[in-house]
Amino acid sequence: MLGNAPSFTMLSELLQGTDVGGFLLIQDSCSYSGRHLLKSFIDAALNREEVVHVLGLDVSEEELKEGLKSFVFQRLHFHDAYADPLGWTDNSPFTVHQFSSSRLTELLKQTAPSKPATLVIDSLSWVLRHISPTAVCHTLQQLKKGGAVRTIIGLLHEDMHSRGIVGSVCRLATSVITVEPGTKGEEALAKITKRSKSGKVTQDEQIFSIRKDLTVTVLSKPTNPGHKRSTTEEQVDPTANLTFNLRLTDAEREAKEKLALPFVFSKEKKTALLHSGPGSGKILYEPDASDDYDQEDPDDDLDV
Amino acid sequence: MAAPVKSMDKPPAEFSPLNFTSFQKKSRTKSLSIPGTRPSVQNGQLLVSSGVTSLDYLLGGGLAVGTVLLIEEDRYDSFSRMIFKYFLAEGVVCRHELFVAAAQDDPDDILQELPAPILDDVAIHRPGEQPRMSCEPQDTLDAMKIAWRYQNLPKVQSALASSSRFGHYYDVSKTMEPEIRQAAKWHRFYHPEHPPLSSGTHSPKLESYSALLKSLRDVIQREGFDLTAPLPKSRNILRVGLHSLGSALWGDDLCCYNNPKNVHALTSFLYGLRALLRTSLSVAVVTVPSHLIQDRALMGSITRLCDNAIALESFKGSERETNPLYKDYHGLLHVRQVPRLNCLASHLPDHKDLAFKLKRKQFTIERLHLPPDLSETVSRVSKGELAGAATAAAACSSATSSAKHLDF
Repeated sequence: MLGNAPSFTMLSELLQGTDVGGFLLIQDSCSYSGRHLLKSFIDAALNREEVVHVLGLDVSEEELKEGLKSFVFQRLHFHDAYADPLGWTDNSPFTVHQFSSSRLTELLKQTAPSKPATLVIDSLSWVLRHISPTAVCHTLQQLKKGGAVRTIIGLLHEDMHSRGIVGSVCRLATSVITVEPGTKGEEALAKITKRSKSGKVTQDEQIFSIRKDLTVTVLSKPTNPGHKRSTTEEQVDPTANLTFNLRLTDAEREAKEKLALPFVFSKEKKTALLHSGPGSGKILYEPDASDDYDQEDPDDDLDV
Repeated sequence: MAAPVKSMDKPPAEFSPLNFTSFQKKSRTKSLSIPGTRPSVQNGQLLVSSGVTSLDYLLGGGLAVGTVLLIEEDRYDSFSRMIFKYFLAEGVVCRHELFVAAAQDDPDDILQELPAPILDDVAIHRPGEQPRMSCEPQDTLDAMKIAWRYQNLPKVQSALASSSRFGHYYDVSKTMEPEIRQAAKWHRFYHPEHPPLSSGTHSPKLESYSALLKSLRDVIQREGFDLTAPLPKSRNILRVGLHSLGSALWGDDLCCYNNPKNVHALTSFLYGLRALLRTSLSVAVVTVPSHLIQDRALMGSITRLCDNAIALESFKGSERETNPLYKDYHGLLHVRQVPRLNCLASHLPDHKDLAFKLKRKQFTIERLHLPPDLSETVSRVSKGELAGAATAAAACSSATSSAKHLDF
């Protein structure tokens, strides 16, 4: 569906976070990192006075907090699984094996007991490396259904996993944003697929760029030469430059329409011919008793 | 000698260009007369409507009792879910019992989304109907001035429909009234409610599927659908709907890996399911996310283990969306398998190219045909060429456009 009002694009709608109880998945690849977009989402959520929990597996805390304004840090809780994800030392703050819905709900309730928090997972690829995909999908589904989490935002590197795993995780997501590098330097292309509760799917493609202060500017739609409809060429009018007149004036057209065609019948005759009356030889058949010839019971005396 | 036409519910003898006959076989045997079912014309099997009239026609009149219909889901599970809901809604309207199993959504939520039935079916307008005496001759005659003798012949009926009122029509924009829904008796199986009892037992079956099969068997035996048990007075049909089997939420890694650990889990479940259904008065509809299953041979075995199999391919998100050939439709429908029940040859659909469209009041499945090409400047482009042009356009558009002008 390409018809969106220009001031309210799908990407900006998603950034406003009106979608409660959903799972937003950002898919990136090695050609363009989705972390900038992820940070914009974190920034937007923090500006809306939400409590944000980040499970950091890919990058360290400093790198993630870079660019975010420092006064929002009290609402941002970072769970560091970057330093020691598998728990090789004994005092690891968070390990991947703690990625279960019960443990995460407990963690979220510790810091924000009243309001449901936003959970950001950076990134799901690291979790999928160590935990089976079925367990991860199970956990995500339970978090979605439980009340402790307002939205889940996850980052997935699609070139790290097989198509089946990526597809299974995308099935759970209510919105998927796939980011790719754009044609010009700072710009990137986002392909957004949003699935509503009623099963309706809307898709959109937008070019965006992220400024230094992590706000996203949505630029125009990409002009895809491949999908352009063939422009209707100017139809050359063959009746234009002729030596004889092929056109009709209004009076001539009226006279033409009034002319009675030779084999046109009147309306009564037409109806009479179309709905043929009783005298025109219709065969009416009523099957009587002797016509019910049953092959299995020719004498009609079996009592079945 | 004229063929005896003895019908139970007097269908109008319509002139139908398709090979559907209004002949009803006269049988003396006391067949089970359960509301919402009818015997098949071809082989006497008891048939049940799937909820979608076009799909009934495609599958030879309806779903035979005791069989499994496999629906391969489309990419975003929108249309397969719709057919799933139609199947359950038809069960509610025909007063059958329902068994709904799902891992992603709660079965209560699925039941609340069922479409509302259109109970006064007279309002459905079909273009190729018989001329009614009461309608004004005015508009029908003015429609054709010169070819008026062909007025009343039906137009090319590309929508597949059968003549008797066996299935019902549903309005997708409205949900079913709670009164109608609550009158139906149903059973549920929601996978998160059945946690695995023991872990680590190495068996070809998966805990979730075993629990589901056990639960289904209990329902069948308890509620009297079993054909081996003595027959109670009034019989009913159990409609079983299993949503998204094989997806990761059922605990199955079929969709995740190329060489899944539980290769035989889903196939043994389907084997057990079919055995259970054959000895009971039930019909099952199973949806499987086949686009995620990487192993095509496994998909082939899954298809063989079910009786009917159809696959839905939606145009959303694929490059076919902008193809002008497909602009009227929402997707393609492929019939993968048709069953041979107690007979040597099965009823095959006459057309292989089928496309579907979800309208508000109807889910139509139509034969995909090329529209007449009326303009003289456009060369006759075939289906293959159109598809080729769409994909090659990105590469060098000038080359393909010059190729189009080569018409002789």
